[in-house]
Amino acid sequence: MTEPDAPPAENDQARASLLLGLIMVLGAVVVLVDAARLRDSDDAVGPAAAPSLIGTLLGLLGGALAWQGARSGRTHAGEDRGKRRLWRLAALVVTLIAFAFVLPIFGYVLSSAALFTAAALLLGAPHPGRVVAYGWTLAAVAFLIFDRLIGLSLPAGPWGF
Amino acid sequence: MRRALPYLAAVLATVLLAGTSSWGGDDAVAGDFLDGRQLRLMAPAAPGGGWDQTSREMQTALRDMVGRTEVYNVAGAGGTIGLSQFERYHGDATQLMVMGFVMLGAIESNDSPVTLAETTPIARLTTDYEVIVVPAKSSVRGLPDLVERMRRNLGSVSFAGGSAGGAEQILTGLIADAIGEDPAGVNYVAHSGGGEALATLLSGRATAGLSGVSELEGQIKAGTVRPLAVSSTERLPSLPGVPTLKEAGVDVELANWRGVVAPAGIRPADERALEDLMVRMTQSAAWRETLQRRGWGDATLTGPAFDGFLGEEQKTVQDVLVKMGLA
Amino acid sequence: MDDLLTGFAQALTPENLIWALIGVTIGTAVGVLPGIGPALTVALLLPITFRLEPAAALIMFAGIYYGGMYGGSTTSILLNTPGESSSVATALEGNKMARAGRGAAALATAAIGSFVAGTIGTIALTAAAPLVADIAIGFGPPEYVALMAVAFVTVSAMLGPSLLRGGASLVIGATIGLIGIDTLTGQPRLTFGVPSLLDGIDVVIVVVALFALSETFAHVLEGTGRSRVEPVRGAPMLSRADFRRSWPAWLRGTALGFPIGSLPAGGAEVPTFLSYSLEKRLSKHPEEFGHGAIEGVAGPEAANNAAAAGVLVPLLTIGLPTSATAAVILTAFQSYGLQPGPQLFTESGDLVWALIASLYIGNVLLLVLNLPLVKVWARLLTIPAYGIYAGVLLFACLGTFAAGGTIADLVVLTVLGLIGLLMRQAGVPVAPAIVGLILAPLAEQQLRRALSLSDGDWTVLVSSPLTVILWLIVVMALVMPILWRLRSASRKTS
Repeated sequence: MTEPDAPPAENDQARASLLLGLIMVLGAVVVLVDAARLRDSDDAVGPAAAPSLIGTLLGLLGGALAWQGARSGRTHAGEDRGKRRLWRLAALVVTLIAFAFVLPIFGYVLSSAALFTAAALLLGAPHPGRVVAYGWTLAAVAFLIFDRLIGLSLPAGPWGF
Repeated sequence: MRRALPYLAAVLATVLLAGTSSWGGDDAVAGDFLDGRQLRLMAPAAPGGGWDQTSREMQTALRDMVGRTEVYNVAGAGGTIGLSQFERYHGDATQLMVMGFVMLGAIESNDSPVTLAETTPIARLTTDYEVIVVPAKSSVRGLPDLVERMRRNLGSVSFAGGSAGGAEQILTGLIADAIGEDPAGVNYVAHSGGGEALATLLSGRATAGLSGVSELEGQIKAGTVRPLAVSSTERLPSLPGVPTLKEAGVDVELANWRGVVAPAGIRPADERALEDLMVRMTQSAAWRETLQRRGWGDATLTGPAFDGFLGEEQKTVQDVLVKMGLA
Repeated sequence: MDDLLTGFAQALTPENLIWALIGVTIGTAVGVLPGIGPALTVALLLPITFRLEPAAALIMFAGIYYGGMYGGSTTSILLNTPGESSSVATALEGNKMARAGRGAAALATAAIGSFVAGTIGTIALTAAAPLVADIAIGFGPPEYVALMAVAFVTVSAMLGPSLLRGGASLVIGATIGLIGIDTLTGQPRLTFGVPSLLDGIDVVIVVVALFALSETFAHVLEGTGRSRVEPVRGAPMLSRADFRRSWPAWLRGTALGFPIGSLPAGGAEVPTFLSYSLEKRLSKHPEEFGHGAIEGVAGPEAANNAAAAGVLVPLLTIGLPTSATAAVILTAFQSYGLQPGPQLFTESGDLVWALIASLYIGNVLLLVLNLPLVKVWARLLTIPAYGIYAGVLLFACLGTFAAGGTIADLVVLTVLGLIGLLMRQAGVPVAPAIVGLILAPLAEQQLRRALSLSDGDWTVLVSSPLTVILWLIVVMALVMPILWRLRSASRKTS
């Protein structure tokens, strides 16, 4: 996925490292603050010991990663690349969350078929008609096996599946 | 032809879906209860635990009365995760949740945003008692000896048991309180389940262990662990040779009971119907057989009596958890 | 021996064979699905099987159990989506092999390795269960601390080429592992008042998010949704060289998996990590690791299945359920009036031997069922990425959310998926995160338990011969590579 020698990819990697490193440092602060809040026990190693250690490591490694990313990153090339794809990614995330809200209303089969279709199309599938058919079949088969056969109860819509 | 294949498959799948939609619902028997709607029963624990077992036994016993009951698991945090999800069924009398003593402790110690006030208590069903054991080779002679050691150096007596704030830890707190020691100073080593706690005990690292009688019966009979006392009011038929805590000189009783609740806001008529259903279930042959097989005690209690009981238990649990510094 | 033969006679009726077949098929199906494991399946089927004969039901459960353990590997290899946390190590090399067009070989070594390990594990269960149980019982918290130390020093092999990036991943996993109620004091950590987080984030959700979801996101971001993998044409399923490299790995994986699996708190994941590290260290082709080394599939997969047999040791000999699945099997036993424990073999020997016999049969059936299917499965890869990943998404949501999850679970899944995407983009491997997620909480709990039991005395950590041996292994694992380097350096200069 990442070609180490291609300049745009390397640039991407540097930027991602910087971002991930910063998130880790932020996470470290949260972990350490949360650890300080814990009520200590009389044991030799209390509940805050592990979070303190892990939080510190998280901060250190995050810092190193961010520093490395910032040092090797050049911010000019490839800015416009992938803007549209970023939108697609956002759309997929929205689809996933929407799935949660639609599921109890329309039942498993329809919601999952819709999820499949949306995901496949965002991934660049041709032939929308066939994608819908595949999604429906897959969701229906999953429902048949797990709900009807094994007895795992999946949410059903007003039509019973 | 190849192009049409996906569409054909989709049509076929739909036909199968429609054709099997009446599976599993023994509608004939269900008709006269809650307008024939299916009951759903939440086990607020992982498969395999006590609440899960209770739910699935109920499912079997209820089959002849209301047809298929659906059981599902919402695991975690002493049942408080399940409880927080159960809240959303406000007013829906077809939703039930298994709960018990452990949930009272978990609500307190986890500071759960949802409490049992957001439910309608239906019935207490079963009870299991706790037993205190030591490894077979332990030098602890009996409960008085254990108490003596606790008095001498409370921290040196370690107890292996289930989750923090659960029935076992509460019992150690009650015992410490009863013998005049500080409940907060008890050296209780929590485990995520009875099996894990037993493993620690058998490794010989813990002084004593606590667990439900039905969970430890096999070990006691095999002689791998030695029972010191049970937490019941009277000696148990399954362990006639084991004294109660009271007999051994510690004035403590604890029943790890399990029961069932419905969401808050259901109609009084539905509440009575559910209580009636539970009573009928506990009288069924299938349920009797279950109690026998699992070693659970019958503890059927419904209506205001159950409500009152719940209130008292809540107070006991709250008191001891505060003394132990857990709530 | 006679007992075992009687067991076979009991299990080998045509009717029971059909139940075994149904069992392995269902087991494989749920094993494939992330989030729906054998534990839940057996629990769901218990009320239905109530009307069956005890032997038939137990045989079906044995099939589900082994099938579930095996099923996780197929999706690990083909889709880089481990169905179970114990298949994570299999995904590391297995998926690399599949992408290089050698999916069939990876699947075949996994299938045969599972069979070999499962069979040896079952033999060990038959022959040495009480003995192994005696040793396993000796494992208390101090011994686990030492074992975790061994695991930590050896997993460096899983960190990948960059220590910084591998370490970052490990710590990210460990941080996720902190979330939830602290087992020892009952206090919530990093839960921010969200009830769904109280019980921690399920390993399976993390696995699905970091592996499958992040990969789906990456395809969307890179616009590579129409790509597909071309299988190597004309390549045999398992070449002679593949076989020669696989069989020692199968045996080593089994040797790690069975004993660790039989420890009350050993679990099936730790031996797979250890096996991967061991294979990488011993391999004659270390340069292939990270690009699809067959030993890296054979070893962990064997370890996984041997551990599955190991888990039954404490269950059958002491009545100690050490995993969710074991707890459910225990429930099943009790439904049939069996009380697992020290007297199980004497009191209800017939059924136990029938169960053990059906474990052998289940293993054979799994191989018979899966080996011919290997080529069919491998063809799945010729489906374009958009189809595969939309399908993965569908099944991931089924396992983690649709079957009783909350919206919070789905949000966690999505957020972790995005973190996984960022990790991928930054060249940070995701597998070490799973290692950290599993090992760190275990290490913390056992350390604190050990110190609590000893009332704060640190010498408890080296208080038994077993702990001393394990710590010596830790020291060796740390010192040996340095010595080797020094030696090869001095050779070069002389």
